[in-house]
Amino acid sequence: MTSVASVGSGPEDYSAATSVEQAVRFLAGGESAILAGGTDLMVEAGRAVTNCKRLLNIRRIDALRGVTEKDGRISVGALTAVSDLLGDPVLRAEAPILADTADRFASDQIRNMATIGGNVCNASPAGDLIIPLLILDAELELVAWRNDGLASRRVALDGFFRGPGQTAREADELLVAVHFAVPGDGFHARFMKSGPRPALEIATVAAAIGLCLDSDRVSHIRLAFGSVAPKPIRAPRTEAHLMGKALTEDVIEEAGAIAAAEITPIDDVRASAWYRRHLAAVYTRRLLGNDT
Amino acid sequence: MKPIEKKSVIGGRVPKPDAPDKAIGRTQYINDIELPRMLVGKILHTDRPHARIRGIDTAAAKALPGVHAVLTGDDVPVLTFGMNKDNVPLKRDKVRCIRDEVAAVAAETEAICDEALRLIAVEYEDLPGIFDPAEAMRPGAPAVHDERPDNLSLAYKFDHGDIGAAEAESDVVLDDVFNVHYVTHCCMGPGCVIADFDTEGRLTIYSQTQYPYNFKMDIAPALGMHPGDIRVIQPPVGGAFGSKLDVYPFEPVAALLARAARRPVKLVFSREEEFINAPTRQPARIHLRTGATRDGILTFRDVDCLLNNGAYTSWGPTTPYVMMRTFSSHFRVANVRYRSQAVYTNNPYAGSFRGYGNVQATYATASHMDMLAERLGMDLLTLCLKNAQVAGEVSPQGSRLDDMAFVECLTVAGEKTDFTAKAAQYTAERERPGRIKRGIGVASSIHNAGGAKIHKSDGCGTMLKLDDYARCTVITGASEIGQGIDAVICQIVTEELGIPMADIIIANDDTAIAPWDVGVHASRTTFIAGNGAQRVAQKAREQILRAASHQANLPWEALDLREGWVVQDENGEPVVKLDKLLREMHFQDEPELVMVADYYEPPSEAEGPNHTGDMSAAYSHAVHVAEVEVDTETGEVHVLKVTSVQDVGRVINEMGLEAQVEGGIIMGLGYALSEELKIEDGIVKNPSFRDYKLVTAPEVPELDLHFIESDSKTGPMGAKGIAELPTIVIAPAVANAVYNATGVRFRDPPLTPEKVARAIYEHRAPKVAAE
Amino acid sequence: MTLEVAIAFELNDRPSSASVPADRSALAMLREQFGLTGAKLACGEGECGACTILVDGRSVNACLMAAVDCDGRVIETIEGLRTEEGLHPMQQAFVDQGAIQCGYCMPGMIMQAKYLADRQPDLSLEALRRGLEGNICRCTGYQKVFDAVAAAAGLPKENQP
Repeated sequence: MTSVASVGSGPEDYSAATSVEQAVRFLAGGESAILAGGTDLMVEAGRAVTNCKRLLNIRRIDALRGVTEKDGRISVGALTAVSDLLGDPVLRAEAPILADTADRFASDQIRNMATIGGNVCNASPAGDLIIPLLILDAELELVAWRNDGLASRRVALDGFFRGPGQTAREADELLVAVHFAVPGDGFHARFMKSGPRPALEIATVAAAIGLCLDSDRVSHIRLAFGSVAPKPIRAPRTEAHLMGKALTEDVIEEAGAIAAAEITPIDDVRASAWYRRHLAAVYTRRLLGNDT
Repeated sequence: MKPIEKKSVIGGRVPKPDAPDKAIGRTQYINDIELPRMLVGKILHTDRPHARIRGIDTAAAKALPGVHAVLTGDDVPVLTFGMNKDNVPLKRDKVRCIRDEVAAVAAETEAICDEALRLIAVEYEDLPGIFDPAEAMRPGAPAVHDERPDNLSLAYKFDHGDIGAAEAESDVVLDDVFNVHYVTHCCMGPGCVIADFDTEGRLTIYSQTQYPYNFKMDIAPALGMHPGDIRVIQPPVGGAFGSKLDVYPFEPVAALLARAARRPVKLVFSREEEFINAPTRQPARIHLRTGATRDGILTFRDVDCLLNNGAYTSWGPTTPYVMMRTFSSHFRVANVRYRSQAVYTNNPYAGSFRGYGNVQATYATASHMDMLAERLGMDLLTLCLKNAQVAGEVSPQGSRLDDMAFVECLTVAGEKTDFTAKAAQYTAERERPGRIKRGIGVASSIHNAGGAKIHKSDGCGTMLKLDDYARCTVITGASEIGQGIDAVICQIVTEELGIPMADIIIANDDTAIAPWDVGVHASRTTFIAGNGAQRVAQKAREQILRAASHQANLPWEALDLREGWVVQDENGEPVVKLDKLLREMHFQDEPELVMVADYYEPPSEAEGPNHTGDMSAAYSHAVHVAEVEVDTETGEVHVLKVTSVQDVGRVINEMGLEAQVEGGIIMGLGYALSEELKIEDGIVKNPSFRDYKLVTAPEVPELDLHFIESDSKTGPMGAKGIAELPTIVIAPAVANAVYNATGVRFRDPPLTPEKVARAIYEHRAPKVAAE
Repeated sequence: MTLEVAIAFELNDRPSSASVPADRSALAMLREQFGLTGAKLACGEGECGACTILVDGRSVNACLMAAVDCDGRVIETIEGLRTEEGLHPMQQAFVDQGAIQCGYCMPGMIMQAKYLADRQPDLSLEALRRGLEGNICRCTGYQKVFDAVAAAAGLPKENQP
């Protein structure tokens, strides 16, 4: 059976951009779906790709791929595939948490397609890659075609998310890169994720920590969770509790309790709020105590 | 020419004949088939579990270009089908569960079908839904079917001995309720059917069915047809596991569309539709009381089962037939009482699924054995051995337990795993500090292994022909669903006829050609189709050797067939090449072709109305030992190793046998730990692989398989059926191991991380008052 | 009306071209326009791997790959593995080790296995298991799939499952 073109639905306008300028000029022409990894856009249920009128394929913009380091800052191109994050030598050396998180992301096949930019813009409450980026105080670079020219802005990742699937990205903006400062030598960062399957899983809970110690006391702390709120979040009360303290058993125990109390998980088909709070406490303790 | 030695292909590691085509992507599965001028069919399912249909407006859908047929219940005669004749292909007055088929469309493309479905407007009047079977039994509960105001469906009872007296003699009585859950088959090939009528109104249906002959009988009423006018073609399928042992509405719907459109119609489920519409395993609330003496002798089992029938009745509510067998025959028990009641609700309904009631019942019986051992202060294996039947016993339901190896299975399992010592060690370690705990658990069960006489015949027809080149075709009624009957039949025929396996074709996919078989179920196919194949092969062998005896100058019994030659049996001296002989037979004055037929009926009995009868020609046991590691904080259970000891009668294809056992164990692990179709208020909440958790490659434990050959006197070459026991036994083995590790008993699978974490947390934490 | 886009690409070592609706998946294009029915539609959301193909040497779920983005790329499907000499060693290993039962998931499984073995010649059993986590099989329990890959990849003895 040959398929005839679909009945009155599906994109009427398509561009395979090869430069950022070409891409944002297309976006300026009207609301568009962006094809990056395709791992959300192409999903059959709800067929987002069929329901859009304009389709922008950015997979040919090579400038958006790759990891670079300059002046103490790392830039990850938005189109960098998750599997490329896994093996990237700069990330392995300077921010291994991102590489480790990538290793726990879905499956090989999905990792080969999904992009860091897509994961950020899709803004799932689970947002696997978002969690470590929050730990790294990441910043997003967005570009649009405005007033006959390229307009660029940077926005902190923390604060970029409005709710499930909703971000501060304007319809004509393209996420081009994620930036963060190279963590110092004493920065310990780890990621943890739940579920019987190691990776192909929307996490029941995901957690990441980044901390520095100064004479055994916490001098820098970032704690982030996924799947415990409408968006990936930091845990400011837990962070405040830990600042300046030595990581004794009591401090760690209490940190777990505070984390469990400050998150706002719901009951859903994957897990109950009880279990999410329970896991958040467990992961907080393990991340702080360096347990597996 | 040198003498030819006798070489056996039985017991070897034989690749499946259809594997090469599957490996290169050449196999045309039913989902791949396109017929000329074929249309796409799709169903409009209801979006609510209980409502009256006030009206359906199909005008806009019918007017859409490319649409060839739009049907609702009003467009077709009311023709009921199903176990209780309570189902129709397209629903008219009411929808009773979330699957209900309200309308159907046939159109030129999938996109046009989708658009047409969107254009169909249905007006519903919502009715209160009833979802809990206990609630549904109460007076005043909403009636799912108006004709059955009490919502009662099938009920079963069985009695043997005297429960009251047995209880009085018991030193220990365990009393527990086990709630076993909804799971679904997750065949990789989603539901698919192609219907095609000829000019005389006769139907050819391409179906995933596992029971093609009775399928004709069961689908005919839904179409107002005579079963003889229905031809079933069975292309290769992407799995079945019991999901295709009944007629489900999507198949007659496709036929109704094909009839209305006067063109072939192919209907395929999306994965989401598959999750919602494929029949589930039968869930059950099992109230089990088990009695024993202080010496560990089982005295009685008293069982009350409440089954959620769902909105319509398929095979699920008949699983008590098999559950009874577990409760009466899993170990020696002198007194048994079994009661079950299925109750209609507005839920999706259950069918048959590998293990068929035995999975559910064994979860209860094997858990109770573990609990009994602890209560009596006895080692579990010792307790099992005290109650294990030996060859020659007859069960309370009249099963003749010949050719048994239960004791040997238990003994080997214990030796290979050092179970007793480890169980004691892990029990001692339970209370020590440390969040990772190890545990070891044992479970066993019995299942029919020589067919199951649930229909008037449990037989299989087989025909065999040889051509002038000594190429063989075996036409069998047995269906190949991926389980490997093709390899087994080839091996048996090769063993008898000395023809290379590559020269044998199995033809079994067209009811117009192949003879009757009752279907793939009850672990019967190797036993019954294998016996059928052996019988025709032996008939052919005799015919050939008789034809050769003159030129050999020997009686035919002194001859043999080896590697394409007739030879002297005693010394392997070649007599005549087989293909040459066949041509001589064909072109002689009175031509003789080798074309033989046989119908094999196993020596078993249908159950009488009191549920007694030796309903299988053989029975088998399996014992599993599971070793686990539990993270007591996250609740994650990692299965480290599964040791399986199974009585297989005789190994025919060692590789195929391992493959089935491995697959069955992993399927059962999913049942134990992670699979659960979550249905709330009649709605399936997790209809995707994302949220329905199958076991994946990284989670496979170390598997140590042992096969005991009890050499069945009734089985082909001594073999018995094997494929369901691996799925039946593993879940309680894992649950028992988790108990050993944590001291927490789980009566309600699956043992998900959340459930385990919560139970351990509550087990350890002092109860908070007034929570 | 949905836009139709003309694309050209290499398909199983041969130059190929097609006109595809802008929203079509590579899987639908391969199955419906090229008759390459080896890759299967089994979930449509990248969860099961039954549609795994290689694009520019990397394994992907064809159901999530946009057909329009096949333009200019190198596409390999299960049908392209065998040669005049016969089955690809990975295909042959799956046959010989009994790793195929119903076989529906196998085109995707074999493509992923080949990708893993080619990418990492010193593949460990651990890495193999992780590498196959995106391929669901309901029949085999995966053990014989591991055996097949070990046999085909010539895993050193200590790494054999």
